[in-house]
Amino acid sequence: MATGFLTDTTVCIGCKACEVACKQWNQIPSDGFGLTGNSYDNTGHLSGTTWRHVAFIENPKKRRLTGDVDLVALAEDVTEPLPGGAELDALGRWAFMSDVCKHCVAAPCQQACPTGAIIRNEFDNVYIQPDVCNGCGYCVPACPYGVISQVPHDGRAFKCTLCYDRQKDGMEPACAKACPTDSIQFGDVEDLKRRAEERVRELHEKGYTQAYVWGTPEVGGTGGIGGNHSKFILMDEPETYNLPRHPFLPQEKVKGGVIASAVAATVLGAVVALAFRD
Amino acid sequence: MSEATSESVQQSNGRVETSHHPETDPKRRDKNYYGIPPIKRAHWTWQVPLYFWLGGIGAGTQLFATVAQLLGHKDEALTRVSRYTVLLTMLLSPVLLIWDLGRPERFYNMLRILKLRSPMSTQSWSLFTFGNLGGLIAARQAAEDGLLFGDNVLSRLVIRLIPARLLTVLAMPVGLFVGFNTGNLVSATSVPIWARNWMLMGPTFLASGVSTALSWLSLVLHLGHWGEEKTLRVLHRAEKAVILIEGALIGASLIRMSRWSKPLFSKEVAPLFVGGTLIAGIAAPFALLAGKESRSKSMLASVLALAGGLAFRFAIIAAGRKSADDPEAYFTFASGESAPQPEDKI
Repeated sequence: MATGFLTDTTVCIGCKACEVACKQWNQIPSDGFGLTGNSYDNTGHLSGTTWRHVAFIENPKKRRLTGDVDLVALAEDVTEPLPGGAELDALGRWAFMSDVCKHCVAAPCQQACPTGAIIRNEFDNVYIQPDVCNGCGYCVPACPYGVISQVPHDGRAFKCTLCYDRQKDGMEPACAKACPTDSIQFGDVEDLKRRAEERVRELHEKGYTQAYVWGTPEVGGTGGIGGNHSKFILMDEPETYNLPRHPFLPQEKVKGGVIASAVAATVLGAVVALAFRD
Repeated sequence: MSEATSESVQQSNGRVETSHHPETDPKRRDKNYYGIPPIKRAHWTWQVPLYFWLGGIGAGTQLFATVAQLLGHKDEALTRVSRYTVLLTMLLSPVLLIWDLGRPERFYNMLRILKLRSPMSTQSWSLFTFGNLGGLIAARQAAEDGLLFGDNVLSRLVIRLIPARLLTVLAMPVGLFVGFNTGNLVSATSVPIWARNWMLMGPTFLASGVSTALSWLSLVLHLGHWGEEKTLRVLHRAEKAVILIEGALIGASLIRMSRWSKPLFSKEVAPLFVGGTLIAGIAAPFALLAGKESRSKSMLASVLALAGGLAFRFAIIAAGRKSADDPEAYFTFASGESAPQPEDKI
């Protein structure tokens, strides 16, 4: 059975309980006390020491306020037309998104890893064996989502393990356990896929036609990656959440590159040989 | 900050439409998350580009020496210099690469498995093989030169047991693989400027490697007043041709990289790329070699080509760093049309 996450950003309240639970359970070192000055998100991005990261997206709307404005409805981002032709959406909205390792079906980091430290475990999760990794760092630029990085003073690369240890004991990952709104759901990938589709249908019926699933072979899990085991329900363009729309598996082109290089090597050899002719 | 970003910030200056940050302005053409890079750059510092350069010299030297041997060109000085060159580059390369590891004491895990789709894995194995073959060949050379403590049992055994000429031929394809795989190593990543050029990265690195190797051989032979006249003449001709090929490949790469080649012309990288590689490393040596042949001019051309090759490796790594740090570059690259897809033929 393949397990994964479904992160439903529409119910995320930005509490960061997932970040804290992940840090605590996995005993990940601190990221320091830096302030980004951009938003309440002071972590910024996923890294070897941040395996769950909550993005704070501010979407200002710039329509003018006219007529009789209901400020409560305004703040709640109600989309129904109001009496008196009052324009809404003027305050815009906040969106939160708890980002995590995508656990790709064909994982670029795993294909890049020269030591075989990155494996797929029995839950079909992408897992770095810390006792094998020698810190070459080649998985870091290979990841199309910027998930992995090397941890300073340790040297090795780390990322979300999907709480391998907890799963072995039949428990759900720490972040999903801690999430108070069930924005993070854990389970069988096929099951989560159905749940995601159902939820998107429900959102569409409610008038939120912009909702969609990211992490499928069509969007977010493209280019030979074959989809992700961590899926997301998004309400905006992927780039807004710092996610690529059509990432690709970098190793797809290794064979082609070697063939092109072999041709070049033959040509260069011939040129050198021709130089010997007087 | 990308051009589009700075433009929209400037537009919003003066007529502020919202109290929110201009970075989240929905009118902006490029969407991103506070300009935070969506992918992580490679950590590679100076050791890796220096290794790329040394590996290229080793590969090109092996190519020239093998071709000379196969064509029956006998020049003891050339054989000696090329064998010791390969030994030297293959002694330094692993040191640099192990130095670069986060856990250097676990370097041997590189040879734990072989993964054909991981250029880092194939690079480790080819370096291991090429280094050992080069080491055996150089040991035989050292025994012949009396460097193994004169004429003793050891050196006689080495000379008898090591078939240097056969090993030279075997080492050539492995050496060439080391040379071009450095290019494939950088292109098999998510970094736009590298990944975009997946087809020409290997050939360009190899051409640059062969060019630097020919320059190195010619420089050393000139410096020591070694080598036959024909060897120097052949090197001169080959250098000219290979520099031309290298220049053409870099030009083709720039066309292929199109808009994602911008980091190469940025304030920080342009001195290395335009000044160091294109002008000092390709145009100047070619002009020097194209004119009337003389020892001093040839030596100057060699030094320039060697420095240009080193600048090229550093420029590519530095440009990759900037490319990975630019959200606009990655998002336009991973937007659908530009990124390489499995079904693409080229």
